[in-house]
This record gives sequence, structure tokens and C-alpha cells, in this order.
Amino acid sequence: MESLAHQDVINLLLKLATMLLLARIFAEVAQKLKQPAVVGEILAGIILGPTVLGMVGPEFFEFLFKSSPSANLALDGIVQMAVILLLFIAGLEVELHLVWSQGKSAVSISILGLVVPFIFGFLAPYYFPEFFGISEDKKLLFSLFMGTAMSITALPVVVRILMDMNLFKTKMGMVIVAGAMVNDLIGWLIFSVILSFMGKAGNFSLINTIGITLLFTVFMLTLGKGLLNKVLPWTNKKLAWPGGVLSLSMAFCFLAAAFTEWLGIHAIFGAFLFGVALGDSDHLSEKAKEIIHQFINNIFAPLFFVSIGLKINFFTNFDLGLVLVILAISFAGKIIGSGYGALRSGYSPKDALAVGFGMNARGAMEIILGLIALENGLIDEKLFVALVVMALVTSMSAAPLMKWALKKKPGEAD
Amino acid sequence: MYQKLALAIAFSPRMEALIAEARKLIQIFEGELILIHVGTKTPELETQLAEVLSRHCGDLHRIKTIWKEGKPAKTILKTCEEEGVDLLVLGALKKEGILTYYIGSVARKVIRKSKCSVLTLIEPKIETTHFSKVVINGTELEITPLVIARGLKFCQAERSSQVHILNEIKMYGFQMATAGEGTETEVANTRRKLVQDEIQYVQDILDKLDQTGLKINIKVTAGKWAVELVRYCESIEADLLIMGDEQGLTFIDRLFPHDLEGILEELPCNLLIVK
Repeated sequence: MESLAHQDVINLLLKLATMLLLARIFAEVAQKLKQPAVVGEILAGIILGPTVLGMVGPEFFEFLFKSSPSANLALDGIVQMAVILLLFIAGLEVELHLVWSQGKSAVSISILGLVVPFIFGFLAPYYFPEFFGISEDKKLLFSLFMGTAMSITALPVVVRILMDMNLFKTKMGMVIVAGAMVNDLIGWLIFSVILSFMGKAGNFSLINTIGITLLFTVFMLTLGKGLLNKVLPWTNKKLAWPGGVLSLSMAFCFLAAAFTEWLGIHAIFGAFLFGVALGDSDHLSEKAKEIIHQFINNIFAPLFFVSIGLKINFFTNFDLGLVLVILAISFAGKIIGSGYGALRSGYSPKDALAVGFGMNARGAMEIILGLIALENGLIDEKLFVALVVMALVTSMSAAPLMKWALKKKPGEAD
Repeated sequence: MYQKLALAIAFSPRMEALIAEARKLIQIFEGELILIHVGTKTPELETQLAEVLSRHCGDLHRIKTIWKEGKPAKTILKTCEEEGVDLLVLGALKKEGILTYYIGSVARKVIRKSKCSVLTLIEPKIETTHFSKVVINGTELEITPLVIARGLKFCQAERSSQVHILNEIKMYGFQMATAGEGTETEVANTRRKLVQDEIQYVQDILDKLDQTGLKINIKVTAGKWAVELVRYCESIEADLLIMGDEQGLTFIDRLFPHDLEGILEELPCNLLIVK
């Protein structure tokens, strides 16, 4: 096996240390300001990257991030793994049984909260391709992508907000969580189909890829889950705890990821589906879930979020018009869709608005989605920057907006 | 509490034990017993039943046997409705070879669609069962206050020695991971608060109820409640599990069996479903 040279090792370790340190500092600041840690971590990346450090201290930036191609490659490998693991825990968070127990209102809120933003996101570029700077032949794919990017709610951000507001256990909280879970699941399914359209390195024809993707999804949610239910009790009993379940779940997560990458629909999809199957199993203890979350959230997630800022100059690629349009589409789609869904399910207009604001939070998933689209040449850097800004603004505004919607006027009855 | 008790009989080897158990319950609740048999009425069966009844229910005046033909589940349900039955008693089935019990397809249909409460006995005995260790499902569901209220009444009538009420923290792992963004003290506080909230939920319900003569223990778990209920019943060797019913089981529930379905698939102990 090839190995890194002495200098490259030092460079790689310096990169990792700087990224983790700055991510931690900014995450702490964000939390002090009652903002999700993600917001701070992305800001840390923007500061470390070409946007700020590249301007202020170009020599240092060059030394840290440009001087060693081998170390960069190694870092890219680690970041790839981080994305796969992030999607794995995103899958783990989807608890199907919770969705079913919330009944019709959750389904109605999540379907409307998915379809309406999807339509908004789809129609805008489809009818105004020039504004988004896309060519006619890419129009359909691009519109599909925009639809999906507008429709995925950030579950971790939402849970945090609901917990802070003491709403997690209420009917409304559960409905929002269940709705966000369904959004995640369907959103990623749609995106996997888009990825197969792009088919950069697939081994199969388009129809075959889509067919195999659907088959794989059904397999993971039925037989795969059944298999896990058989294997997990054995692992829990016979192997070291939590070592056994941790290393085995990572191993199978990577296997599933390798499989979908081989199919031509990106590794993350396999990791996500495996996460859903594992998370829904009766035998994965909550303690094990907590451990998996902690080590991915605090080590791999910051590396990924910081790496975004390293890749792109957020200043030169900032297009105010584009950012505003994306923000308008994303706010309108989610709030109208989810809010209307809640209204239909019998919530008062105020509560429905609060549900809409809650579901409006986007985060990691939009950014990952955007990054893949960027790497595949589907979107340009300007649009990617607009998407990241959208994810940041929606995440940051969700809690204050929900509080505002739920605030009772003086004298109003409970 | 239960004034009209029905027992579905099938002339299996366990019929006598089931009748003895039903007789005991009638004694506790001072009610009326209705025996339902779906199938052809023949003189042999009648004699067989009369013999068993004379052994166990000789002194019982308020007893009647209904013979009906038709589809088993439908007929049992219809008869219960016509007679205004409060509690229907059924026997569970035993899996071949292994010592586990499950509810057959007819009984499952009856449990799902029944308008009255259903008691399923896994191992009816002629000398009758005493439900001394009882577990009640205290998971936050709409029906839970009713389940706990009825459950306590049942336990008082039965003179159960221990009552455990189980409630679970929803998405504990995810909530704790989210709370992990705080400091060590904040995380510890969140953990404590999550547990405290669940105990409080059950306590608030209990405060409104009469608990005379009962030793009640509130237990908080994390994970899927149905799975945790089964595990807990197994670990304390419970005699009876009392839970509510989820309304409106649909096609999706068959596709992704959960909660109640999981419990019906593998019974940890006797099961009372309160409606």
C-alpha cells in the first residue's frame, strides 16, 4: 500500500486539527447565540477557506490547503466518509413506526410539505432557465434537482428547536418530526433517481439503474430489516458491547454505500437506506444510537461542514439576486405546503403557521445534495452558494419564527 | 366492572380450563357468563359441555350458551355486540415445539375489531390463574388514561400484588445526541428531565385515580414501546399485560407491522386489551 510522505502526514494532521478546532469554537459561539451548531461549523469553513483566510493570509492558506496534493487527497477521502456517515445517521433518525403512529395528519403535512416546495422549486427554473443560467438540455434535470433541494427538511435542526421550545413531546412536535422523516425518505428517493439520470459512472442503463434502486430500497426496508432483526440480538448477546454493534453497523453501512456507488447512484444513498433499516430495527438500543450519533456528529460532521467553505469562495460567488430568489422559493414552498397540510389536519391558523416555520428548517441535507450536484456539473458555484445560504437562513430563522407564531397576544385564552 | 363476560369455546382440550378461568372472573366481577360456540350444535358436544359446566359452573344461575354457525370471527363479534358483552375471553395458541404463544388469525381479527375489551389467556388452568404481577402500558397515547384507570380497577378486583406501569422516552438516543451540543451539566439535566417528564405523565394520571390496596411502580424505558413492554414482561415474569388498542389498523400496518401486531405475534404473558 502506498503511504503519505513525512511532510504530507504533518500537513494532513495540521489540516484536521485546524478544521476541528475552528469548527468547535464557532459551534460553541453559535450555540451561545441559540443557533444550531451546523451554522457555526459552516462559518468556520468559510473563514478557513478562500473567502476569508485566502484573502487575509494567502501564504498560510496556500501552505495549509494547497501545498500538499497527497494530503488533500487523503482529506478528500475522510470528507467522503464523513458524508456517508452523515447520511447513515440521517437514516438512523427516520423512525417509521413513529410516522405511522402519528397517523393521517403527519402524512398530510409531510406530503404537502414535500409536494408544494417541490413544485415551486421545479417550476421556477423550468420557466426561467436564463435566470438560473442553465442550458435548455439540462433544464429538466436541473428543475428536478431544485424541486428536491427545496423539499427536504433538516430533522436534527427541527428536533433541537422543538426540544428547546419544550414542544418535542406535544402533538404538534411529533407531527413535525414525523413529517420531516417522511420528507427525508421520499426526498432522497427522488434524488437517487436524479442521480441515476446523471449516471456519471453507472454500470447499467438508466431504466435498469432506477429499477435496481427501487428494488434495493424495497429490499432494505423489508427483507434487509428482517435480516437485521435476526442478526442484532445475536450481536448484542455474543459480541462485545457496544464495540460489536458499532463496528458491524459501520461495516455494513460502507458495504451498502459501496453497492449503490457501484450502481451509479452515489454511495450516500446506500448508507441512508441502511441507516433507515437499522434505525427501525427493534434491537438497536437507544444507547447504541446515542453513541453512533455522538461520534459522527462531533468528529465527522464538523470536518464535512468545514470542508464546504474550503472548496468555494463564498464572496466572489455570492449573487444577491439568486440568493433572494432561492430564499423566496424555499420559504414560500415549505410554509405554504406544510402550513396548508397542518390547516387541513385541523390545526388553528397560528399553529399551522408554526408547523410551516418548523418544517422550513433546512440544513446538512440540502448542502450535501447541492455538493453532489456541483461535483456532477449540474449546478454552478453561484447556485451552490445560494443553496448554502438558504440552508443557513432557514435553519437560523426557524426557531424565532415559530416562537413568533405561537406567541399569544395579551389576554388571549390558552 | 365487567358485568357481561363472554367466552369463545372451540371444544379444544383446553376448553375446561378456559371455562374454569371464566368462572373465576365471574366470581370476582359478579357478572353474567355467556358461552359462544361457532359451529354445528350436536348432541355429543352438548353433553360434553354440560359435563364441564356441571363441574365448574353448577352454582351459576346467570349463564347461557349460544350456538351459532357462520364465519368464526364475524359471528363472535356480532354475538358480543348483540348481547352487550363487556369482556370477551379467548385462549391463545401455542407454537409447536417451542414454549411461545401467539394469537391465531381468527382471534387476531376478533381483537382488532372487537368493540369490547378482550382478555387472552396463554395458559388457562383448571385451578385458575391469579394475576399477581401486572404490567400496564403507560405509553403516551390517547387511550392511555383510560387503560390505566381500567387496569387499576381490574388489579384491585383481582387483588394483584404488584402493578408496573411502563412509559417510554420517545427517540431517546436522538434527543440525547441533540442535547449533546450542551455542556456536561446541561446534558445530565436533559437526561434527568426526559425521565422525569415520563414519570410525571403517568403520575398525573394516577393522581386522579383510586389506588387503594395497590403497590404501583412506574418504570421508564427507551426505545419502541411495544418491544420494551414485551421485554419487561418477560424479565419480571409478569402474569398479565394490560394495554389499549390502536384504532384503525390499515393496509400500511400490515405492510409494516408494529406495536400491537408485534405483541400479538409473540405473547409474553396473558393479555388484556382495554377498549
